[in-house]
Amino acid sequence: MMMEFTLWDILRNLGFGALWTIGLSLTAFVLGGTTGLLVLAARMAKSPWLQRGARIYIEFFQGTPLLMQLFMVFFGIALLGVDVPPWLAAALGLTLFSSAYLAEIWRGCVEAIPKGQWEASASLAMTWLEQMRHVILPQALRVAVAPTVGFSVQIVKGTAVTSIIGFAELTKTGSMLANATFQPFMVFGFVALGYFILCYPLSHYAASLERKFHGSTSGSH
Amino acid sequence: MAYAFDFTAVAEYHTQLLSGVGYTLLLTAVGATLGVAMGTLGAVLRAWRIKPFAQVFGLYVELIRNTPFIVQLFFIFFGLPALGIRLAEWQAATLAVVINLGAYSTEIIRAGIQAIPRGQIEAAGSLAMTRSQIFRHVVLQPALQKVWPALSSQIVIVMLGTSVCSQIAAEELTFAANFIQSRNFRAFETYIVVALVYLGLSIALRALLARLGQRFVVKRRAAA
Amino acid sequence: MEAPLVRIDALHKHFGSNHVLKGIDLRIQQGEVVAIIGRSGSGKSTLLRSINGLETFDDGLIEVDGERLYAGQTDLRALRQKVGMVFQQFNLFPHLTAGENVMLAPQVVKKTPKAECETIARAMLAKVGLAEKFDAYPDQLSGGQQQRVAIARALAMQPKVLLCDEITSALDPELVNEVLAVVKQLAAEGMTLIMVTHEMRFAREVGDKLVFMYQGRVHESGHPKELFAAPQTPELQNFIGAVN
Repeated sequence: MMMEFTLWDILRNLGFGALWTIGLSLTAFVLGGTTGLLVLAARMAKSPWLQRGARIYIEFFQGTPLLMQLFMVFFGIALLGVDVPPWLAAALGLTLFSSAYLAEIWRGCVEAIPKGQWEASASLAMTWLEQMRHVILPQALRVAVAPTVGFSVQIVKGTAVTSIIGFAELTKTGSMLANATFQPFMVFGFVALGYFILCYPLSHYAASLERKFHGSTSGSH
Repeated sequence: MAYAFDFTAVAEYHTQLLSGVGYTLLLTAVGATLGVAMGTLGAVLRAWRIKPFAQVFGLYVELIRNTPFIVQLFFIFFGLPALGIRLAEWQAATLAVVINLGAYSTEIIRAGIQAIPRGQIEAAGSLAMTRSQIFRHVVLQPALQKVWPALSSQIVIVMLGTSVCSQIAAEELTFAANFIQSRNFRAFETYIVVALVYLGLSIALRALLARLGQRFVVKRRAAA
Repeated sequence: MEAPLVRIDALHKHFGSNHVLKGIDLRIQQGEVVAIIGRSGSGKSTLLRSINGLETFDDGLIEVDGERLYAGQTDLRALRQKVGMVFQQFNLFPHLTAGENVMLAPQVVKKTPKAECETIARAMLAKVGLAEKFDAYPDQLSGGQQQRVAIARALAMQPKVLLCDEITSALDPELVNEVLAVVKQLAAEGMTLIMVTHEMRFAREVGDKLVFMYQGRVHESGHPKELFAAPQTPELQNFIGAVN
């Protein structure tokens, strides 16, 4: 069946795809951030078992391709006899992926707080929780804003991989349109532009935060 | 109902797995070498603000860093033929990796170059070193030394990212995984095994890069 | 003679194969000002940091005002409420104002009502001559002022003893005196002070007791004026000669 696509049809469809990209990104960021906090707590816990578990979790999700993680979630849940909708596998996979990276980014921020801050608060008879709550986290949070915003760009770009398991976000929509219109150059050009419009403001914001907090000292996360 | 895992169904296909590993490693090696070379060039042009190349590289860096790798790959493989540029799968995959890593390493190395204190360059100048000597020994060498860990992480990320090259039928490791699971109908086991192979590869690659860094970038034994 | 405020018995500590404290015995009375001197690596800082549990030790006993600390003990809350500490690098909390720095521990640890904490904080800052800096952030203060805020912060917990770990070493020379003046005033008010210091003149002037550490042991101790006038060992003789 042949269909004529006007430029407007292409853009409108890509627009819908982009909305799914945004929705998935927000979901992954919120759920990934929440899970990431738990992973961070385990990673910094006193129990060596929790620490080891968190370390393996982080190593696994940082050391394997996002695509493999999505496949494992997709086919893993299917083993339970449940039919997995692509959006669920996509959201779950990206959440796991993001949580590992965010936990590691945030651990870096906590460890960037000088030892003297721990010692001074300890010498004032504060408990570990009090030190964290009143002295360490308020400072770590400030440091964490820039790399966290920076990582949100990776999440947006990561959603493109979910096109492979059939989630109809921007890239998947683009692929379908490219096939239907025989205009892959134009369609993928628009797709790229769409991601650029989503990501560039975030990158720019992250970079300006980085300059603000780090001053002249450089350092890449 | 308990599902019976069967990993032997994956082991049978070790030839395909090995050839996938080889493809992935080769793609990563070529991509990393050319990509870092391009990044070094870009970083120098950006850091020294050489017109108009600095601006061109600036635009390139922003375009690549703010779009997904898979879209870059699709654009090269499916889009470029419209301009009469028709590439084989392996060519498209390699080009995409080089362009992608080139952009990231431009930024990483530029940050390293700009972190070199002015006093270092002035000191070298006062020792009557030439511009190119200063650049090589006082700027580039320490800059690379400083950013090598960041560069190494980026190379590992790129290696993991090549996984999506299976989508243009480049026969790398994920392509092998897709092939195997279409034959043995054991998708979950296959992807677990292949994920663990990737994990092994990234650990090994990280170790290799650390060693290369010691040997060629730092050029001295670990400080006591 | 009344019971000592601080008692240290047979204290031993190793860093790996390095035996840094080789059996330290020390008695410090209420109101005494003790200066610990010695070369770097003599164990003086480690000894000081052991007294509030920032360093663990392998063997021996520390007792402050009836609060005992054994090797390997992890509950340090009671002890630390009696022992204040001031650091070489000030270690003020950069996200809090001077006033908030002083208020934080009474509020969080002692659960003192906020209004009362503020009264205490204002009084403590006034005591170190910084009443008008209540709302200033640490990075708006000079090194000397930061260190005085750090002293106020420690005092707000009403400690029985104050540990000072080379508190003037990170300061520009012209800022040293304003900090030493505060310490001198505390000493005059009867505060028990244990300080690791390089300020020999100050130790001689203000100190009641001088402890010379050498290779992990208390090599010599006594009244500062006597020790400076007539050091008994060649090591202390050398040390005094090298410093002056």
